[in-house]
Amino acid sequence: MPRSSVARFGAVTLAGVAAAAMLAAVDPHEPGHYPTCPFLATTGFYCPGCGSLRATNSLLHGHLTGAFDRNPLAVVMLPVVLGAWVLWGLRLAGHTTWTPTAIPARWIWVLLGAILAFWVLRNIPGWTFLSPE
Amino acid sequence: MSYPNQPGVPGAPAGGQPPANNLVWGILTTLFCCLPLGVASIVFAAQVNGKWAAGDYAGAQESADKARKFAMWGAIAGVIVIVLYVILIVIIGVGASTNN
Repeated sequence: MPRSSVARFGAVTLAGVAAAAMLAAVDPHEPGHYPTCPFLATTGFYCPGCGSLRATNSLLHGHLTGAFDRNPLAVVMLPVVLGAWVLWGLRLAGHTTWTPTAIPARWIWVLLGAILAFWVLRNIPGWTFLSPE
Repeated sequence: MSYPNQPGVPGAPAGGQPPANNLVWGILTTLFCCLPLGVASIVFAAQVNGKWAAGDYAGAQESADKARKFAMWGAIAGVIVIVLYVILIVIIGVGASTNN
């Protein structure tokens, strides 16, 4: 097992923990705490990531419905990201695990389609259950 | 066909494993970093397995690298925006306090 990949795993883990700590402590629901999404600021439209900081903050405080209101796709994908991180750690520890590279291309295209559809649908006036507001 | 001088791009699959498609980085950039560059990353991640299965090993490696680069650029751009924002806030804060 190369030392550099362990260092990379450690760096990513530290960055993730630091980001989570910051998001839990500095509330993104308060305006002015974080910059507005550059895409939203320049176009006036929500991007697929809009609301994910508030959603993560809500999750860290145990408010699942609050998180879902801000960005449902981020809430659904967060366990996937965390799962991939756990499997990455297991592989570094010498286990043979499933990797995201094993996902058939078809399902990655489905994910891409879902993200693009989410991007469009959350900007439709009145469909606030997908928008961050 | 072989590429003896290109590390990471084997002419034949060693152990039959496709290169890591970096999909999770694309998802992270798209959904948690506020920049749609991650969408491009996911497109390239989707190409990795197909190219590998078709015997295009160099192409699979290329797509995997592009998936990584787009996710990285998206994340770096996000960090730059946050840093610029913080600098701006500090300048405005300093300006406001000297005006008062």
